[in-house]
Formats: sequence, C-alpha cells, structure tokens
Amino acid sequence: MRALLPLLRTGAPAVAAVRLLPGASAGPGPRRAMALYRTEERGQPHSPDYRLFFKDVAGHYISPFHDIPLKVDSQEENGIPTKRARNDDYENLFNMIVEVPRWTNAKMEIATEEPLNPIKQDVKNGKLRYVANIFPHKGYIWNYGALPQTWEDPHRKDESTDCCGDNDPIDVCEIGSKVLSRGDVVHVKILGILALIDQGETDWKLIAINVNDPEASKFHDIDDVRKYKPGYLEATLNWFRFYKIPEGKPENQFAFNGEFKNKAFALEVIKSTHACWKSLLMKKCDGGPINCTNVQICDSPFHCSQEEARSLVESVSFSLDKGSKEEDQVWHFLDK
Amino acid sequence: DPALLQLWYRFSYSLSVGAACRFVALKQRRLLVSGTMSSFSSEERTAPFTLEYRVFLKNENGQYIAPFHDIPIYADKDVFHMVVEVPRWSNEKMETGELHYVANLFPYKGYIWNYGAIPQTWEDPGHNDKHTGCCDNDPIDVCEIGSKVCSRGEIIRVKVLGISAMIDEGETDWKVIAINVDDPDAANCNDINDVKWLKPGYPEATVDWFKRYKVPDGKPENQFAFNAEFKVKDFAVDIIKSTHDYWRALVTKKTDGKGISCMNTTVSESPFQCDPDAARAIVDALPPPSENTGANWNRFSYD
Repeated sequence: MRALLPLLRTGAPAVAAVRLLPGASAGPGPRRAMALYRTEERGQPHSPDYRLFFKDVAGHYISPFHDIPLKVDSQEENGIPTKRARNDDYENLFNMIVEVPRWTNAKMEIATEEPLNPIKQDVKNGKLRYVANIFPHKGYIWNYGALPQTWEDPHRKDESTDCCGDNDPIDVCEIGSKVLSRGDVVHVKILGILALIDQGETDWKLIAINVNDPEASKFHDIDDVRKYKPGYLEATLNWFRFYKIPEGKPENQFAFNGEFKNKAFALEVIKSTHACWKSLLMKKCDGGPINCTNVQICDSPFHCSQEEARSLVESVSFSLDKGSKEEDQVWHFLDK
Repeated sequence: DPALLQLWYRFSYSLSVGAACRFVALKQRRLLVSGTMSSFSSEERTAPFTLEYRVFLKNENGQYIAPFHDIPIYADKDVFHMVVEVPRWSNEKMETGELHYVANLFPYKGYIWNYGAIPQTWEDPGHNDKHTGCCDNDPIDVCEIGSKVCSRGEIIRVKVLGISAMIDEGETDWKVIAINVDDPDAANCNDINDVKWLKPGYPEATVDWFKRYKVPDGKPENQFAFNAEFKVKDFAVDIIKSTHDYWRALVTKKTDGKGISCMNTTVSESPFQCDPDAARAIVDALPPPSENTGANWNRFSYD
C-alpha cells in the first residue's frame, strides 16, 4: 500500500496502466528475508514498450544492475546484525535478478542502455524475441537471470575464452525446483560455471541454486548437480549449443571443451566481472552506451538523487496497446 | 437425480480442468470441426483447477452432447476425430472424477504431445486383447505430434501414423500416434517411419515418457508389448476399428459397461440415448461458478 502512495500523490494518468507486483522476495524457507525489492510494470506484457522497473522497500526507484548488492551480506540479514555465519555456504550468497522464469520463452533482459535499467523484452529485426523450443526442452530449462553489479567488459579479452565480453551482467542459470517470477530477487548459492562463447563473445553461464530450495542444503559444488540432478548439466550444455539454430545461427562454442568448472573457479570469474563493473561505475573505462545511472553508489559520477530517478522513470513513455503473444509453439527437432 | 448427475460426471471427466484460461462464468467458445460441416462448441462450468470444473460440448443446435459417444469417430475417409484432453506441455488431467497432475519428468515438461482420445472407441476390459492381454476400460488414447498446442476440449481431425502397446499397471493401453491434418508437416507424414526422420527422437521420447511417467508417484515403470516398437499405420487403424466395435457393443447394451456412462443424444440404436432437454437439465443442475486459483505444479522429477 505504501508503494502506491507516491503514484496517487502525483495523480499520474499512468496509474491505470501501472501494476505493482509485490514479488522480489527471497522466497519461503527458514532463511526468509523480507521483500527488499519491489517491481513496477509499465506498458503491456509482450509489447515492445513493456518495462519492469525496480524499487527499494521504501518505494524509491533503483537500478537492478547497479543498486542491488552483488553479495548478500550475511552479517546483516533483514538489516539486523547477526552472528557471523560459520558455514561457507552462507558466506557466499549472491543476489540474483530473475529475468526469465523456467519453461517460458520470452527473451527478457535487463535494459543495460536505459536509465535505471528496467527489464524489457529483447527485440531483433523489429520483432519481439522468443527463444525456440529445442526438443526435448520447453523454453528455458532453468530460472534464468543475472548477478547485479557485474559486467563482462567487451574491451577485455577473457584469458580462458580468448574472446571479449558480451557487454552484459554475468548470466545465471538457477536450477531449483520452484518456477520463479520475472523480477524476483533471490539469494543463490553458486555451484559452478560454463564458458559459453556465444557468437564469438565470452558469455559465462553460472550454475546456481536458490538458497531457499528444499534441497539447497545438498548442493555445495558442481558435482552435487551431477549427483542429484543427473542429465541437467548435459542438457544445459546442449541447450546453449543449439538454442540459436532455429534463428539460422550456427552452433555455439565453449571453452574448456564444454566442461563445467567448479564453484571456486566460478567465484573467481564473478570477482573479475565485479571489478569490471566497479571500473565502469567509476568511469575508469569506456562503457559505451551502457547507462550507469544509480541511486546507491554515492562515489559514482553517474549517481543521481531519488527525485531524479523518479523523473527518469516517469518520463518513459509507453502505450496501453495490448501486446500480442506470438510465441513459437513449434518444437524444433535438430539432427544430433 | 444424483445417480444421473454421477453418470454425467463420469463421461465428461476427461474434459475437465482449464489450464491457462482465466475463469469467467459460462464462457462459450465455438470449436469448428471443419470438413464435416458440423460444429461443436464448448461450455465451461465452475472454476478451473477444481474437481467441479467441466467442459461440456454442444452440437450445432446448441444441444449438449456426450463427447465420447456423440462425436463421430471418422471425420473423413482415413481421417479420425480426436478430442484433446491435455494440451502439450500442460500437467493437468482429469481422470475418473479426480484431478491428476502428471510430473515433469526431466527433461520433459508435462505431456509432450497434445493428448486425448478418439471418440466412439472403447478398450473393453472384459476382452482379452490377443496381442497384449487385458484392456483399460477407456476410449483409445492418442498422442498428437503436430506443432500447434491445442486447447483442452478442442476437437481436431487427425491422420493416424502408428501405435504402441503400453501395459499400464497390467492393462493394455494402446497409444495411437497421430498428426493434426492441419499441421504444416501433415502432407509429409503418412506412417510411423515418417515421424522418425521428421522428428528424430520423438518416438523414443514417447516410449521413455510412458515408461517412467508414474515413477515419481511411487509406481513402477510401465511395460510395452512388441519390445516397445511402434507398429505401422495399417495395424493402428485395425486396432482402432476393433475398439470402435467394442464401443458399439457397449452403447447398444450388448456388453456390460459396468459403470461406464453410455448416455448420449445421437446414437439412435442405443438404449442409452436420451433427450437433449434431459441432458440440459442435468448440466443446469451443476453447482454455480466460483473463483479458484491453480496449483503451482512446477518441479522436475529426476526419477
């Protein structure tokens, strides 16, 4: 209700088209965190001007790319200082922003070039993008998203892949049993990483599990995925290898022969993409069209006030035209 | 009359439970069965995801019909009608009055074809099938392999391509493989071998799915006759024809249906034919609409 008040106060005609979603909590479970982030839809889903903006618990607009912390501070759960966790698992918890729920097809992503980086649907050749169904799979086979405060620098050649970064936050495949929602911010344990080279660009894929998954305590490293979810890693590899073929693109390549690297390796990659992001926010490197507007990083030359953030969001125009869901129902059978 | 109500529930059982549609009171959709010049419409009652949810079918005169008795088995020469019970990729199925959720058997999501049955057929449990033994007491099942995800209750026209003989908990449960005549690939798909090269992996996945789909519920793997091979179209058509004969015996009371409702409005030689107004009265006696939210069936099972 509190989140509604700013809209009511401004009397913005956009109220009718704006839907507030309470989501963005860490989910049920013994380590329940209160919902620290909320989302606000503008425009109609499945339309090119659909945007999902993020707000903090006080209702102020934030950037999910820059203003949500990469690491979950285990010392301050719910803003209350706690005993330092001894368990390594809980020292390495990361925030994950969910862009694509499992089994859906719409290619939703953080809009890195727009102010406050809302989630939008990718458009290619003037058409909204939907990922193909690659038999035997339906849509995305994990909850898919990104780690905030990370960036794969397109000017830096990655040592492992010998390719430059894809100019995006680092991607995460969350393998838990719950189908999450677009815009959820969940706490994840990192388990491993895959070195995808997507169309010649480094595109790391982290493998992670929601810390509130009923089986989360069984998962500590990449081998646990092999043990408790047999076939999932192989399916993941195949999915990334083939998913663009229905669009007419070639098979993707991988570094390390498509081998999944372990958690320790993954954590190092995260560290390095976090460092690249810091340089970006401090204007120490050329971000090109990346929009670094943020409300939390006070030292950043791109920092803005909450009021400025609000004006930025309110100046975004959108239509009330209903989107059309032209999702591809075809199941693509590729000769293997 | 509660007994009559019970009978209606029995034969409309498999058209229950909306998946994606939001509940509206007495929503009516026209379902065109083109080519036969007949049209069927469907009417939903009560909320989806509840045991009371039903989709009733009506003929072109707006009269209620029994889908598995009043829809003709043949749409055309070599073309069969199919009633879609489960759209591809959904999980919900109504079975004998109970809502069932099929597990997501990794790597699959829900059912991997549009799944349903051919009307005016019956697998007679009193009959010992010469190929496989006992039969499962239902219309014959169909897995429709076309690209389009059909709607629950939709009546489509299909070409039969082949058949496999699953043994589900000791009963023969034939699975017809078919393709929607309107599918872009339909012209290239005439027999079971066409499926193998057009959609590599699909027949194997079908066998795999049926073998394992009850394992997450704690049941054993299912068996198949014929070493789990798919038999060709001609064999399939013969099986369908014989289940049509069993059905005819059922509705003309030559066989004891033991609990199967044979109530219908069009089979004139059937002693179970009833007046369309009586059918209407039964539907109208159903509970009024109510709101309900769907279950969130979303785990992958790795069994």
